Amino acid sequence: MAVEGTLRPGGGAAQLALNMKLLGHHELAGFGGVGEGINLQKAKDGRRILWMAHESAPKNFTAVDVTDPRNPKMVVQTDLPHNDVRSNSLDVVGNIMAVAYQTKKWGLKPAGMDLFDISTPEKPKLISHFDTSGPCSRGAHCVFFVDGEYVHLTSGAPDFEPTNPKDDQFYRIIDVRNPSKPVEVGRWWYPGTRKGDTAPPPPRHPKFDGGYRPHNTNSYPQKPDRVYIGYIDGGVWILDISNKSKPKPVGHLQYSPPYNGFSHTVLPLVERGYLIVSDECVRDNGEDWPKPTWVVDARVESNLVPIATFPLPPAEIFTKRGGRYGSHNLHENQPGPCSFRSETLIFGTYFNGGVRAFDVTNPMQPKEVGYFVPATPKLAPKGSAQINDVWVDENRLVYAVDRFGGGLYTLETTF
Amino acid sequence: MPESPAATRDALAGLIPVSIVTGFLGAGKTTLLNHLLKRPEMNRVAVIVNELGEIGVDNELVQVSSEQMMLLNNGCLCCVLRGDLQETLRDLFIKRRNGEIIDYDRVVIETTGLADPAPVMQTLLTDSMLRDQYRLDCVVTLVDAVNAPGQLKEFSEPVKQVALADRLVLTKTDLVQEQPLAALTERLHEINPRAPLRRATNGEIELGFLVDVGLRRTHADLEEVERWLGADEDPEGGHAHRHDETVQTFVLRFDQPMAWAAFTQSMEVLTALRGPDLLRVKGLVNVEGKAGPMVVQGVQHLFHPPLELAAWPSADRTTRLVFITRGIPRQVVADLFAAIGAIGSR
Repeated sequence: MAVEGTLRPGGGAAQLALNMKLLGHHELAGFGGVGEGINLQKAKDGRRILWMAHESAPKNFTAVDVTDPRNPKMVVQTDLPHNDVRSNSLDVVGNIMAVAYQTKKWGLKPAGMDLFDISTPEKPKLISHFDTSGPCSRGAHCVFFVDGEYVHLTSGAPDFEPTNPKDDQFYRIIDVRNPSKPVEVGRWWYPGTRKGDTAPPPPRHPKFDGGYRPHNTNSYPQKPDRVYIGYIDGGVWILDISNKSKPKPVGHLQYSPPYNGFSHTVLPLVERGYLIVSDECVRDNGEDWPKPTWVVDARVESNLVPIATFPLPPAEIFTKRGGRYGSHNLHENQPGPCSFRSETLIFGTYFNGGVRAFDVTNPMQPKEVGYFVPATPKLAPKGSAQINDVWVDENRLVYAVDRFGGGLYTLETTF
Repeated sequence: MPESPAATRDALAGLIPVSIVTGFLGAGKTTLLNHLLKRPEMNRVAVIVNELGEIGVDNELVQVSSEQMMLLNNGCLCCVLRGDLQETLRDLFIKRRNGEIIDYDRVVIETTGLADPAPVMQTLLTDSMLRDQYRLDCVVTLVDAVNAPGQLKEFSEPVKQVALADRLVLTKTDLVQEQPLAALTERLHEINPRAPLRRATNGEIELGFLVDVGLRRTHADLEEVERWLGADEDPEGGHAHRHDETVQTFVLRFDQPMAWAAFTQSMEVLTALRGPDLLRVKGLVNVEGKAGPMVVQGVQHLFHPPLELAAWPSADRTTRLVFITRGIPRQVVADLFAAIGAIGSR
């Protein structure tokens, strides 16, 4: 049945939704570009405060009161010291927030991680700065902080000289039990990426050289001896961190090439023994398609087997909608009072494919159960919404953010 | 990992409801649809019709149209049934997901006048792709007050259309005297005692009567379950009023929980022997070891895969099965359950 034209008010720029209903929208005072740090705090006065790290300068982070998700209210918005640094990533445990800082070039500052006291959300108070700047360091790209004790950090270091400039960040475990004095207790890098390694440098991806760096480094209290790493072009790694000073690889999955690299988030379904792995799309207009979200059987950690990918809408249509289209961030089942946790329902972001929800009850046949693609935001540089990250709260309300100007969308699910 | 109650998907809540509008030739389906299409509450409804031209929507109400579809100003999408329904429903969902048509959240299907609604219902029960996206909400049968008394005598299709209905709508009542109208109402009640009946004047009927009949979520409450199973006028299987000779509607109740195997074996034998005459079966089954009741829905020999409700909607935990059959008496089904499953009914 051929349809000429689009039978849809607003055409290609209109909102698309299935089983997700828009409750509220906040443009973040004109700075609606959010990175991949988003976390919900229950403040001591009972308010629910959503913290978001910005994708790029000039803003650092923004907090929005989402106690009434239909009427989100901005609480605070902070600035970066200069335009050659971005925060991009943050995490919140109780009233402590960790924020990453990554510079555009080696040697610049601030590079590393800040810890803030956010017990009064209006007035975030700097507790300490963990400096990771150095002659070959851009600082930190990503924090994973859920237990209040250790930050699992993706960062460079002053003493780290990579064999390839693109491999300048690695996995660092930072003890923050005394938040005023964070201290590194362990580290691991892909063999061959540091000068002086006995292993040879790993081969570059033949088409899209994204580098060998960790992206997300996820470790959960219910399995404290493991960290799950999306190592960009280095694939998926599971490390045994029972001895934090000596992380030890126990599982590795490399599927690029033939796939296009950029393993981003490795979300373990701890009870069931599966991993949900997203590969970030980093090129516009489908240049690096496919960027799947994989289901990986990890019941035997030493033999990781991809068994399915999430069913995404057709590339031939969505790659033409402008900007990026493909996988990016997932909601990561964080512990804590304001986080959704599920071993079967997975929420992910897909740039112009919006935020999408999948049921992996049958891990070999993931099903799409809902999606929300906002109407193209005003002055969208890519001509489409570019949904970058998602947080889902314990009531299954969904908070999705745009990479450029769209800001925050609060949604409810009906599945 | 302790999961919150919302950590799993509700197997029913995310599905798009489908209403089937059926009725014999001249029963007024087009008139009814024409009225419905103009309502503001038909926003985000996809209506599958036999011919766009037949609907006769004024041009000024049409926002945009193609050969096979038109989008009305109120946000309602009309679409022609081409080829088979399975293909049309799949295609609609794909186009919805691709952003080519509106985000419809309800489908209304107009069947052809001669159509047997059973295969339309079966399409939704058995096609796995459709089952993932849609659920049967309601079968609405339109009955023409002028011609139905004759048609019900002469043809078997209208009888089946009435028997399968969740809702009955009497049309053209203004052309008939009250006394024959009462006789027709009684006749319809004989064929299908459980379906509520309303009169439509010039095709106008409240949308609420035609929607949200099927189970909408696995956390369904008592009201929702009762709405789905229909009026419970004959709980003990008594014979307080006259029954149709060809169509039997009855409820079997089982006080004790049963093994799922006993239930399925009984139903398998019944469908193997009398499938075509088992017009419709729906109900809740109390299965040993299950917290909630199992939902059973079947049309002739085809059944929807069983689905467990989150909890019993009330303290009453008896298995309740509504049977609409052609010539299968209650006792035969009860005996079969007793013989095969060793389950005693009342």
